[in-house]
Amino acid sequence: MAKVVSIKRGLWEQLYLPELVRGVGITLKHFFVNTFGSKEIVTVRYPEEKREYPPRFRGVHRLMKREDGSVRCVACMMCSTICPAQCIYIVAGERGDGTAIEKVPVSFDIDELICVVCGMCVEACPCDAIRMDTGRHYPPVDRRDQAFMQKEDLLAAGGPNVAVQGGAGPDWRESYRPLGSDRQIYDREGKLAKQIKGS
Amino acid sequence: MTDTEKNPELASFTVDGKPLSAPKGSNLLDAMVAHGIEISYFCYHPGLSVVAQCRQCLVEIKGQPKLAPACQSIVMPGMEVISSSEKVLAARRQMLEFTLVNHPIDCPICDKAGECALQRQYMDWDAKGSRIDHAKVRKGKKVDLGPRIVLDQERCILCTRCVRFCAEIAKSPQLTISQRGNHSLLTTPPGHRLDNPYSLNTVDICPVGALTDKDFRFQVRVWNLSATLSVCNGCASGCLCEIHHFRNKIYRLVPRRLVDVNLNWMCDYGRSTYKAQASDRLTLPRVEGKDASFEDALARAAGKLGSLEGEARAGIGLVLGADLANEDAFVATRLGLEFLAGAQLYLAAEPDTSEGDAILRSADPNPNRRGVSACARGKLRSAADLARDLSEGKLRVLYVLSDKLHLPPEALEKLRGLELVAVQASHPGELVKRANVVLPACVWEEVDGTVTSAAGRTSRMRAAVTPPGAAKPHWEILVRLARRLGLTLDYATPRAIFDALRVEVEELKGAEWGKDLPPQLLRFAGSRG
Ligand code: SF4
Ligand code: SF4
Ligand code: SF4
Ligand code: SF4
Repeated sequence: MAKVVSIKRGLWEQLYLPELVRGVGITLKHFFVNTFGSKEIVTVRYPEEKREYPPRFRGVHRLMKREDGSVRCVACMMCSTICPAQCIYIVAGERGDGTAIEKVPVSFDIDELICVVCGMCVEACPCDAIRMDTGRHYPPVDRRDQAFMQKEDLLAAGGPNVAVQGGAGPDWRESYRPLGSDRQIYDREGKLAKQIKGS
Repeated sequence: MTDTEKNPELASFTVDGKPLSAPKGSNLLDAMVAHGIEISYFCYHPGLSVVAQCRQCLVEIKGQPKLAPACQSIVMPGMEVISSSEKVLAARRQMLEFTLVNHPIDCPICDKAGECALQRQYMDWDAKGSRIDHAKVRKGKKVDLGPRIVLDQERCILCTRCVRFCAEIAKSPQLTISQRGNHSLLTTPPGHRLDNPYSLNTVDICPVGALTDKDFRFQVRVWNLSATLSVCNGCASGCLCEIHHFRNKIYRLVPRRLVDVNLNWMCDYGRSTYKAQASDRLTLPRVEGKDASFEDALARAAGKLGSLEGEARAGIGLVLGADLANEDAFVATRLGLEFLAGAQLYLAAEPDTSEGDAILRSADPNPNRRGVSACARGKLRSAADLARDLSEGKLRVLYVLSDKLHLPPEALEKLRGLELVAVQASHPGELVKRANVVLPACVWEEVDGTVTSAAGRTSRMRAAVTPPGAAKPHWEILVRLARRLGLTLDYATPRAIFDALRVEVEELKGAEWGKDLPPQLLRFAGSRG
């Protein structure tokens, strides 16, 4: 139920004129502060001046690279599936170079004008292949087709990644030190290979 | 009165205290699935023999000391089954853990992810981290099994469905399990390739993503696909199928599940027929070799057809393809027999092939020879008659509704002398090259309609994708042509044509139009296989 609040006005407010003068005073104060410059000013003179963004600001996308410089993405389409704007278009193909890596994106396009900058694609990626940590905005465009970032554009800003793709492989436990417990490491034949002492 | 009293063929039994009934002697797992009771299994398949080796469907049966596999149990009157006790659930979880011991969990790049039985069972029943401290056994990735299939031996859970399919259904044992225990792997026996004409069914029934179709591999994630129910137009058997498509592109054809027509199977050839839909299509009408508007093209054809009156109509040849839908054939027949009375009707059909077999495939490669013949009510003459009439100079105008008319070179030469050759076709060809008027037509994945198989079963095709360019269904082009000719052949929808043909065509009296089902998003379809 709506609550009725009645504002109490004293004699001073009811006299009207003094309050009016006070209001004009506030306006004039801002006018002079803004005109003659001062450190107290709250807006910035964009684009000459720019605000510093918080570290988790979501900028334009980039694609990360493997150790050998090729794209980290495995074209799993998790990002394009979760994308609420449906603006990621991936065509997958075989890597076909004899390595253990099978699936790669042949093309990877993001329509940055449709993108709502939600960051869900980054959350969904199981490979840490797509990031939005460039800190940059998408530049203004003249033509519609310029709003697409293609694989090459996305990779241009990409760098290597500290994590090992696919984890450390089937032998990951040999380098894994669980906290606080003794662990036994067995080799592929099932023999005890290593005994790790817990902390 | 209970079900069993009404029907003495039924046996009543209970599952978790719930009274159920099923035909006497039926498979317990089938009966539970039919009653919507959740049960997990990998190796069982209703179309294959029972081996009970994945041990995933273990249940308690009162009076039996050990857990029993439901797939290998027969429903007995008074049987008491328990499928949700702690003991059963623990067995299920433990079996899943075993199955996952060496599984690579490739889900992000696995084509089965999204419709994988292992993913589904794991999420439903276990959903815990691995406790295994051993390194996984490594096996072959991307093993080339044959012309159409790639195998990932690590993903294989050794259910032997594919092995049994090849031996029992395709009758060509081209797969086997070699090695033992932890190192068991699926492979082809020495000197064999997986190349039987039904091999792609193994991809469907594989509960995991071990077997992948080379055509489908990496093309699309399954949860993006929508399924439209239709019927394969690869041959006269008319197998019921699902067209799987995404963003107006077809990615695969798969058999519909649990139907008594083609069981759960389709042949490899039939599955490959979707490719024609997107390749090399006619998209614009053409008049004398130049792109034209539909109206101009129709005006040209109608001008000529309309100018022939009375006796002269015997010079009109109307060719119906054996690949038309019943609706197209019915409209064409009405046009030919009622409005252009005196015109000659011919049937263009592909000759029989040697591909026919006792499994599914018919030797007749024409999907609707029976339906088209029925709609034309015995008025169709053969393509050989057409060739003869052409060489004898009996025809003045030829109007073809088909891609399937293949004339001998002499007859093709004769076309030049005709006053008009008009063709409604979907793909370019010899005839299209020589036609004065070309009208782009739809293929079966783009139309609503019915076809009648060689066995006389009429099934429903549903449009899955929109046609490219200006292509239109055959019936629609005919209706527009009739309008140009000043005739009232006014049908607005294929349904209206079907209702009319069911009254008029004796042979199709019992046919059903079937439900109008919207495409189903596979995202909500659970696991397949
Ligand atoms: S930020 Fe959001 S909208 Fe933009 S591409 Fe990623 S998921 Fe799509
Ligand atoms: S989620 Fe990551 S790995 Fe998957 S397609 Fe997107 S960027 Fe590539
Ligand atoms: S088979 Fe199933 S569980 Fe295994 S990798 Fe593929 S989707 Fe994942
Ligand atoms: S390949 Fe698939 S169907 Fe064949 S045994 Fe392995 S898991 Fe079963």
